[in-house]
Amino acid sequence: MATEVGLGHYLVVSAILLVLAIFGIFLNRKNVIIILMSIELMLLAVNLNLVAFSAALGDLVGQVFAMFVLTVAAAEAAIGLAIVVIYFRNRGSIQVEDVNLMKG
Amino acid sequence: MIANIAFYVCSIILLASAALVVSSRNPVHSVLFLILSFFNAAVLFLIAGAEFLALILVIVYVGAVAVLFLFVVMMLDIDFAELRSGFQRYLPVGATVGAVLFVELVFVLGGWEFAPQAPVLRFSPAPANVSNTAALGRLLYTDYIFLFQAAGILLLVAMIGAIVLTLRDRKTSRHQSIRAQTDRTVAETLELVTVTVGAGVKEIGILRPKPVDPEPVEEVHHGN
Amino acid sequence: MNWVLALPEIVLSLVAMVILIFGVLRQDDSFFLSSMFALGGFLLAALLVLTTGSGIGYHGQFVADAFSSLVKILILAGAGLSLILSLDYNRHNHIARFEFPVLMLLSVTGMMVMASASNLMTLYLGLELQSLGLYVLAAFARDDLRSSEAGLKYFVLSALASGLLLYGVSLVYGFSGTMDFAALARTLTIPQSASPGLIVGIVFVLVGLAFKISAVPFHMWTPDVYEGAPTPVTAFFSTAPKVAAFALLLRTMATPFGHQLIAWQTLIIIVSVASMILGALAAIGQSNIKRLMAYSSIGHMGYALIGLAVGTPEGVRGVLIYLIVYVFMSAGTFACIIAMQRRGRPLELITDLNGLSATDPALALAMAIFMFSMAGVPPLAGFFGKLYVFLAAVQGGLWTLAVIGVLTSVVGSYYYLRIVKLMYFDAPEEPFDPRPTALSFVAGATGLFTAFFFVFPAPFVGAAQAAAKVLFG
Repeated sequence: MATEVGLGHYLVVSAILLVLAIFGIFLNRKNVIIILMSIELMLLAVNLNLVAFSAALGDLVGQVFAMFVLTVAAAEAAIGLAIVVIYFRNRGSIQVEDVNLMKG
Repeated sequence: MIANIAFYVCSIILLASAALVVSSRNPVHSVLFLILSFFNAAVLFLIAGAEFLALILVIVYVGAVAVLFLFVVMMLDIDFAELRSGFQRYLPVGATVGAVLFVELVFVLGGWEFAPQAPVLRFSPAPANVSNTAALGRLLYTDYIFLFQAAGILLLVAMIGAIVLTLRDRKTSRHQSIRAQTDRTVAETLELVTVTVGAGVKEIGILRPKPVDPEPVEEVHHGN
Repeated sequence: MNWVLALPEIVLSLVAMVILIFGVLRQDDSFFLSSMFALGGFLLAALLVLTTGSGIGYHGQFVADAFSSLVKILILAGAGLSLILSLDYNRHNHIARFEFPVLMLLSVTGMMVMASASNLMTLYLGLELQSLGLYVLAAFARDDLRSSEAGLKYFVLSALASGLLLYGVSLVYGFSGTMDFAALARTLTIPQSASPGLIVGIVFVLVGLAFKISAVPFHMWTPDVYEGAPTPVTAFFSTAPKVAAFALLLRTMATPFGHQLIAWQTLIIIVSVASMILGALAAIGQSNIKRLMAYSSIGHMGYALIGLAVGTPEGVRGVLIYLIVYVFMSAGTFACIIAMQRRGRPLELITDLNGLSATDPALALAMAIFMFSMAGVPPLAGFFGKLYVFLAAVQGGLWTLAVIGVLTSVVGSYYYLRIVKLMYFDAPEEPFDPRPTALSFVAGATGLFTAFFFVFPAPFVGAAQAAAKVLFG
C-alpha cells in the first residue's frame, strides 16, 4: 500500500466490526431480521480482512476469495429471508425465543 | 495524505453505522444504516486497491441484498417494539462478551507478521501493469474455475430454495400466457369499421369488448 | 488441468439441473420420477467415484484420493437411503415436490466437494453449498410451524458458525499467506510460523466445524432441528452431512494443521468428553424419539472425536469405521421411526412403540438390532465402531478418554435398552399402518448390515486403513 494506512488499521476496523456483529446477535436475540443483518456485517468484516491481507501480501487470492464470500453472503441472505417469511406466515411473528413448541 | 483522511473518516462512519444497525429501534433505519456501512466499506476496499470488489460490493449489497432486506421488513407486519423487549436485559452480557472478544482479537492481531516464507507461498501474486479487474478476471476464469462454478451452483440452490419456500400458486394469481399472446391474429383483435361523419360512437355500436373473466387457473404441482 | 477428477460432482450437479428442467416442464406430479432419477444419479456418481483415478486437480484446490473416495461413497449411501425413506413419507405429508431430490442432489454435491477440499476456499464453498441445501430441506414442510422453526433455528446458528469459520480462514490466510492445504502443511512444519493469530484462526475453523457435526458445546440446534424437520430430512441430517463435516474436520486437522497437534488436541479432547457425557445423560429424560436420536447422535460424534483426538492413522481409521457403521445404523433406525404411523399420522413418542413385538415382530426385531448396536453390544456393528476408536485411544496413550468412553456407553445403553424393553415387555397397543416396501427394504438391508458386520469387517477396515494412511502421507 502506498499510504501510511497499514494493515494493522484494517485489521482493527475489521475486528471491531466482527465484535459489533456478534454483539448485535446477542443483543437482538428475538429479532431475526437484525440477526440476519448482523451476519451480513460479520461477512463484511471477513471481507475487509481478506482484502487487507491480499493487499499486504501482494497476493490476489484474498480478493478472489472475498468475491466468493460476497456471492455466498447474497445467497445466504436470500434463503434466510425466505425462511423468515414462511416462519412469519405460519406464526404471525418473527420472535424466535418465546416459542415453546420445542423445548428441553 | 488524502487516503489517510479518507480511511479514518470512512472507518469511523462504517463502525458508527454498524453500531446503529444493531441498536436502532426501527428496522427500516437498520437497513438504511446497513447500506451506509456497505458504502463506507467499499471506500475502504478502494483505498486497499481492490477496485473491482468495491464496486461489486455497492452493486450486489446495496442494489440487491439491502433492498431485499427492506422488502421483507416492509412486507411483514411485525410489532418491532415487542421484539426489543429483551434488549436491556441482554445488554450487560452482550457488552461483556463483545469487550472480551475485542481485547483478545487486538491482542492477537497486534502480533501480525508474515510467516517466514509467505512471499514464496503466494499462489497468485498481483501482476504489475494490469488493472485490478482484469487481473481478477484472469484468475477467476482460469485457476479458480472450479470454485467459480461451485459458486454458481450455490446461487442456483439459493434460487430454488427461495422459490420452493415462498412461491404459492393462488387461484387468483394471473399468469402471462405467452402462447395465447403469440397465437393472436390480426383478425381476432382488430376490426375495421367505417364511421360516418358526425355520428357518435354509441350510435354505431362500437364499444370496448367486455373484458373476459380469466379462467380459473388449475392448481398444479405447486399447490398445497 | 485434470478436470476429470471432479467428474462425480459434475455429473451430480448436471443430473440435478436435468431433473429441475424436467420437473418444471412437466406439469404433473413428478416427485417419484425425479426421486428415481436422483437415485440413479447417486448410483452413477458412486460408480464414477470408484472408477476415476486419484490425484490433485484444479490448481491444487481439489484432491481425489482413497480418503475422499471412501467418504464420498458413504455420503452417497446415506443420501440415497434417506431419499428412499422420503418416497412415501413425503407423499403422505403433502411435501412430495420434485425440488426435494434436486436440493438433496445439490447438497450432496456440496458434501462431496467438502470431502475433496484441499484448499480453505474449496472447504468454505463446499460447506456453504451443503448448508444452503440443508436449510431449505429442514424448512421443506413450509406450512408446518415446527418445520419452519427448525429451518430458522438451523439457519441462524449455522450462519453464525459459518461466519466464525470464515473469520478463522481469513486469519489463517493472513498469517500464513496461503490457503492451500499442502502449502500450509509445509509452512507449519517450522515452529516459529505458528503465530498466535494462526492458532486463533485454527480455533475459529475448529469451532465452525464442531458446529456442523453438532459436538458439545455447539450442539444446541440439534434436538430442535431433528424434532422439527420432516423425518426423512432428519434421517438425511443424521447421516450424510455428519460424514461430510467429519471428513472435513479430519482432513483439515490432519493435513494442514497436523503439525500443530498440541494446539488443537486439548480442545478436541474437551469437546469429545463433553459430547459423550451430554449425549448419554440428556437423552435419558426424552420422550420424543427424534429428540432422543438427536442426543444419541451428539454422543456418537463424541465417540468418533476420540479417534481424531488421538491424532494417529489408527485413530483416523477408527473414526472412519465408526462413521461407516453409524451411517447404516442411523438410516435403519430412522426407517423404523418413519414406519411408526397410525391412520396416516406419523408418531414420534417413544411410548408409541409399546408392545411392538406382538403387533409387528419384524419391525421390532430390526429396531432392537439397531438399539443394541447403538448401545455397543457385541457382536453388532456398533460394537466394532467403538472398539476401533477405543483401541486407538489406548494405543495413543489417551487412557482417560477410552475409560470415559466406556463409562458413558454403559450409561447411554440405558435408554437404548429401555426402548427394547418397551417393545418386548409392555402391553401392545393398536398396530401401526402397514409398512411401505421402501421402508422394509431400507430397514432390512441396514439391519442385515448391522447384524452381520462381524462376519465381513475386513474390506471396511481395509478401506478405512487405506484412507487413513493417505491423510498422514
